[in-house]
Amino acid sequence: MKKTTTLSILASCLLAMFSCENDLDVENPNSLTVDQFWQTPEDAQQGVNSIYAMFYKDGTWARWMYFRLDLTSDEGFSKSPWVELADWTRFSYINYDFWEGNNVTWRDNYKAIFRANQVLAYVPDIEFSDEHKKQELLGEAKFMRGFYYYYTALLWENIPIVLNPSTTTELPKQATLEEVHQQIEADLNDAFNALPPQWDDANLGRPTKGAAKAMLAKLYMQQHQWEKAEAALAYLISGEGALYSLVNNFADNFTAANENNSESVFEIQYGDHNLGGTGETQDAAVSTTRSQFFAPRNIGWSDGQARFWLVDAFKQEKTADDKIDERLRYSLYYPDLTADFGDLIYGREWEWDDDECWFRKYQRNDRTTEDYFNPINYRLIRYADILLRYAEVLNELGRTSEAYTYVDQVRERAGMRPLAEAYPSIGNDKQAFLERLKTERVLELVGESVRWEDLKRWGDLDSQAAVDEIAKRDPDFENFEVGKHIRMPIPLSDVNNNPNLDQNPDY
Amino acid sequence: MKIKLNSKTGFRIIFFLTVLWGQCALAQQTTVSGTVTDADGIPIPFVNIIVKGSSTGTSADMDGNYSIPAAPDATLVFSYVGFKTQEIEVNNRIQINLQLQEDVSALEEVVVVGYGTQQKKDLTSAISLVKSEQIQKRQTTTVAEGLQGLAPGVNVRGGGQPGQEATIQIRGLKNLQSANPLYVIDGLITTANRDFNPNDIESIQILKDAAAAAIYGSRAANGVVIITTKKGKQGPLQVTASSKMSLTSVPRYDLAGQEEFVRLNNMAYDNAGEPRQNLDLSVNTDWQDVVFRTGLIQDHNVSFSGGGENSSYFISANYFGNKGTVIDTDFDRVSLRVNTSGKKGIFSVGENLALSNAKTNEIGSPAADRGNPFIDVIRMFPTVPVYDENNPGGYGYGKPDVANTFGANPVAIANLIDQEMENFRIRGNLWAEIDPFPFLKYRFNFGYETSFDNYFYLRRKGNWTMNQADEPSMTNQNKAQSMTTLIENTISFNKDFGKHHVNLVAGMTYQKDRYEQINGTKRNLLTNPNTGSYFDVLDLGSEGVVGGFRNESVLISYLGRLEYNYDNRYLLNAVFRRDGSSKFSDTHKWGNFPSISAGWRISNEKFFDLKDVSDLKLRLSYGELGSGNIPDYEYMIFINTLGSMVAGKDQVLYPAATQIRLANPELRWETLKQTNIGIDLGLFDNSLQITADYFIARTEDVLFGFPILLSTGNDGGNPITNAATVENKGFEFNAAYNHVVNDDFSFNASINFNTLKNKLIKLGNGFNESIQGNTVTRAGQPVGMWYVLQTDGLFQSAEEVSNYTNSEGKIIMPDAQPGDIRFVDLNDDGQITNEDKDVVDSPWPDFEMGFNAGAQYKNFDFSMNWIGSFGATVYNGFRSTVDRFDDDTNYRSGIQPWTPENPDTNFPRVVKGTSLNARGDSDRWLEDGSFVRLKYIGVGYNVPNQVLEKIGFSKLRISLSGQNLLTFTKYGGLDPEFSNSNPFQRGVDFGAFPNLRTYSIGVELGF
Repeated sequence: MKKTTTLSILASCLLAMFSCENDLDVENPNSLTVDQFWQTPEDAQQGVNSIYAMFYKDGTWARWMYFRLDLTSDEGFSKSPWVELADWTRFSYINYDFWEGNNVTWRDNYKAIFRANQVLAYVPDIEFSDEHKKQELLGEAKFMRGFYYYYTALLWENIPIVLNPSTTTELPKQATLEEVHQQIEADLNDAFNALPPQWDDANLGRPTKGAAKAMLAKLYMQQHQWEKAEAALAYLISGEGALYSLVNNFADNFTAANENNSESVFEIQYGDHNLGGTGETQDAAVSTTRSQFFAPRNIGWSDGQARFWLVDAFKQEKTADDKIDERLRYSLYYPDLTADFGDLIYGREWEWDDDECWFRKYQRNDRTTEDYFNPINYRLIRYADILLRYAEVLNELGRTSEAYTYVDQVRERAGMRPLAEAYPSIGNDKQAFLERLKTERVLELVGESVRWEDLKRWGDLDSQAAVDEIAKRDPDFENFEVGKHIRMPIPLSDVNNNPNLDQNPDY
Repeated sequence: MKIKLNSKTGFRIIFFLTVLWGQCALAQQTTVSGTVTDADGIPIPFVNIIVKGSSTGTSADMDGNYSIPAAPDATLVFSYVGFKTQEIEVNNRIQINLQLQEDVSALEEVVVVGYGTQQKKDLTSAISLVKSEQIQKRQTTTVAEGLQGLAPGVNVRGGGQPGQEATIQIRGLKNLQSANPLYVIDGLITTANRDFNPNDIESIQILKDAAAAAIYGSRAANGVVIITTKKGKQGPLQVTASSKMSLTSVPRYDLAGQEEFVRLNNMAYDNAGEPRQNLDLSVNTDWQDVVFRTGLIQDHNVSFSGGGENSSYFISANYFGNKGTVIDTDFDRVSLRVNTSGKKGIFSVGENLALSNAKTNEIGSPAADRGNPFIDVIRMFPTVPVYDENNPGGYGYGKPDVANTFGANPVAIANLIDQEMENFRIRGNLWAEIDPFPFLKYRFNFGYETSFDNYFYLRRKGNWTMNQADEPSMTNQNKAQSMTTLIENTISFNKDFGKHHVNLVAGMTYQKDRYEQINGTKRNLLTNPNTGSYFDVLDLGSEGVVGGFRNESVLISYLGRLEYNYDNRYLLNAVFRRDGSSKFSDTHKWGNFPSISAGWRISNEKFFDLKDVSDLKLRLSYGELGSGNIPDYEYMIFINTLGSMVAGKDQVLYPAATQIRLANPELRWETLKQTNIGIDLGLFDNSLQITADYFIARTEDVLFGFPILLSTGNDGGNPITNAATVENKGFEFNAAYNHVVNDDFSFNASINFNTLKNKLIKLGNGFNESIQGNTVTRAGQPVGMWYVLQTDGLFQSAEEVSNYTNSEGKIIMPDAQPGDIRFVDLNDDGQITNEDKDVVDSPWPDFEMGFNAGAQYKNFDFSMNWIGSFGATVYNGFRSTVDRFDDDTNYRSGIQPWTPENPDTNFPRVVKGTSLNARGDSDRWLEDGSFVRLKYIGVGYNVPNQVLEKIGFSKLRISLSGQNLLTFTKYGGLDPEFSNSNPFQRGVDFGAFPNLRTYSIGVELGF
């Protein structure tokens, strides 16, 4: 009897165990899963917003893009004691997997593309009561995908095209630059059709039809498709999208005041709401750290600075009333800044070398130090750039005489005399006009991340003679090998692990 | 059995002997009598005594008394289970009293094998035993450190940081997630982390092959360390107390002093054609003096134990304190254990309960490359002052043109950042057994472990490095609780059928793990005007962030084991386990894992007749083990809803959500398939024991997050996939010799040796290879081979530079100058690129050894452990930092760089600002990592019994010991015995915390 009791206790204990296999179905209490998301218009909106959140990451416009575009070009350079970091601004690429110089920017650009691809894959299946809104959201995603492919192609050229949400095992095929450009064009055209000409106050900062046309114009110009470029730019200047004008005060383009102003065509929105890192946490910063990295020694990391030839370029021509071009004041910190304009540098007198100068645009000179949380919006495409581009396109189309007025609009704000008056010898000489325009673009746009694409577009990186000329301004170009350094090496780990991807030529 | 014997061993007594009272016809025979006792003088009943070479024999009575007829020149053989057999010559004596020595190396040793025990002689799989005394004599924080060099195939790497947990790897790198074995403490599946008091250990068994570990199923693929804690023994209260104090120090770099630093730094700038820095020659800081100090470890332990006929208790308390060898580091642990058990009739119950509170204070900064004192001290110049009033916070650091370094001031970090972790852990189990029949036992085991974790981080305002951004004060704190619940039901059946012995175990286990955390951050903390310190609670301050998460997993398993033993000659052991884990998707939750092993005790065969061979056994095993050692919810694809974007006229935040990390829903069990062939050999009455094992362990579907393409845009960690097949083949050998010369002197020595060949069979995801840092992992080769550029001496002249061409005559390194390194243009394309990299060496040692020796003379004892590792190539991160010269750091003392005047050197010319000679991906930084180390040496003195009796103690022991006192190596870093937790970078020594030199004094007493 006792044994029977014992045995039945044993049996019931074991049986109790068999009933718990359902416990293996553990739900995640921490997060939504993908199949729980992408259900409502709100989900779609948040998915689109997440693409913009990529502006706050290290590899993109929160930090390293400025090294790739501004410092690599002849406008800037790096004296960073972190030699490898500096090497990656002077064509001295040794470890192709250098994270800060190469891989993070490649990865983050594709991370943004992944986000756009998710929207484009999932949102069409979401039911919207307002179909127009849905198209608008898809248009934003298309714009952003085109945008990121544009800059990825600008840096590496022969890149894989990924158009669907990423999977762990995909091995995307390498595309030629032409194929990438076709993809960008298609995306931007779709975006143009879907986007509104203007956004309401609450949504300022999202791309408009004008922004899409501006991106298209950039794309066409890089491809030397001047007629298409002319049409795109004309949309912003004289067409339906002519909603822009230069602000009176040049400096308003680079400070936290007067953001999203009439000159802004596409502007990256930054804030100092969050003081966390650049990861994916809830307090992740929504700022740019550019100013911390470009601030002079003893103020910021001083990893990037401007070449001194820029100061000379500004001082070559006085304003109509014989003053120093005020754009110099707001573009650069240089030894005579205090003497010329009375400004201190972060409250200090000049304490750097006599042949040094630093970028001033987007720096916070109203402070004594910098930090990682700069909230100043980055005016990536502003109307002055559009005007100068239009002038360039007209000149390329042989309509040089028509081009003057657009250059003059930009010069006039700076107080400069009309171009024809200041440089009468140019006339209708296409080449001379282009050469002058190159300088005009520097004076207006120095430090605004356009110089690298300008140099590429002008062919100044295609011949040894042209490169030698640049090397006089920027000795870093002594390292430049024609045919090789015009594009960066593709991250080695992707080349090694993707049989469909070859390293760029000569690397 | 009704009769309770007053026997120390308590073993059932088995008579094999037929006692023959034959006629003693021979006239010269006398009768020899006496008493047989154990070493403590307690009589041993029923000892067998025979006259050697005859059929005469007897056995002692209950009180150990015997009497036997024997010739005056005869030899008596005394034998008894659990004691060494002794032969004594009668030598004309008529009375012989004998103390039998307990057979410490006896094969009758009982081994805990998981859900049961086996006798060591019956083992069919690879299991190592480590005695608790060997572990406890060392000064260790965790159990793992104590195992170092004591068991073949068990690779342990320690570290000297207070509270640092040693890494342990059993039989090589079998998977890529975590090499840590499964720990089972008194039946509770857990970790023997730093919260566990090693003084409580009674015994340790290490299950190494799959057949042995199979009963633990998943998670046992890395091997199992079974720890049994001490139990009370029958008798009155016994009190033991021990106290150990140790002075510790870290090895130091041989760095340049101020004068040498200045000379070399100027040379580097001169060679680069750059103006020299304005080094501050009025400052002369020895950063190592500033940062390193003599540490102090205290380990105080007291235990109370005892028991009655049917109950036992053991209580221990421990304080372990470690004042670190680096400023602002320490570790404190208080722990308490209560183990009790009781029995009535067929029921027995017991519990093991341990409480501990551990607290560490660590140095470190948010930036990965700063705040490691072993890197900071080499990046800071002797010309940088410790304090500088002009800097925010008041600490000295780099300054443009004066001291060009981004090194961090470790004193600033120590003072500006507080980082504390504290956890209170309750760990224990409660078990009950019913033995309704002598052959049947049912056991219920309930285990519970919980830890309350507190983390505190405070960052004061102030800077520690050049050009640092202005950051606000900040505190980050979290509170967490982990919980593990384990429920196990097992039935075991144990019966002899003639010569057949059968033991069956069947059971089911249920384990649930849960971890929850809440955390909060505040910035811009307020200061208390009275004290000047911050209000560091989460209430005050701004920019508050709160967060939290909860992770949960469940594992359900069914297990069965058959042990079959025929006539002590043929042994068979079969295990089956079925595991279900919540960590896999529905289609992949369950896995079945069988194993089988067999043994043949040749020495028990009738035909076997080799006198000196007392034991010979062959073992063969094959087993499959599943492993699901991955994070919870890994197979699910998540949306991150934490993002935000700025937009609008008012620049407000809008929520953003998207998938950031990729995941693989098809994850399935990783399977280890291991074959083991072993031999156990006992010679000369088992005074020499040899064990040798050869194994092939193949892990398929290895769960690992290999880097996936960056073009996927994946972030937040590489998604885990069943990514590879890895194979380890190894040979292990252990020989132990024990010799008792006489009552006063005995000695023992053991040597163990193991080799391991690791090989990656294939990579998943269609990848051919995975390059990580300076290593490549390729199919057909070991994991993480060195993949670097090869150097070929220095250019001595411009002519050599221009003569260095490829086959087409292209000058390979046109920019090089005399004194620069010549790199090998492997692919002959006329330039040095990544394509010129090749596999040059292996980070895996050819073989590793342990040597242990001990001796006892009267009341003194001596022991030492040596460990050695041979043939590994390692990356000297220290040298790659201080020898680079393109980026300023302090330098090694005594280097002789190339100059036109000093061309006869292998040290290239030093140049600031160009990374040509400094590139980190060359074989310049690879070194032979072989070493031999005296891990432990100690002497002890036991105060003699006569003295003890007078003072009323039962034991008093004083010991002196040292750890890591001697190391023989050519390696130029701080410590060849470093550890790197990244499986692909196992040979990279970059700022690893070195092992400490330790001098200890200990006192142990009992009454």
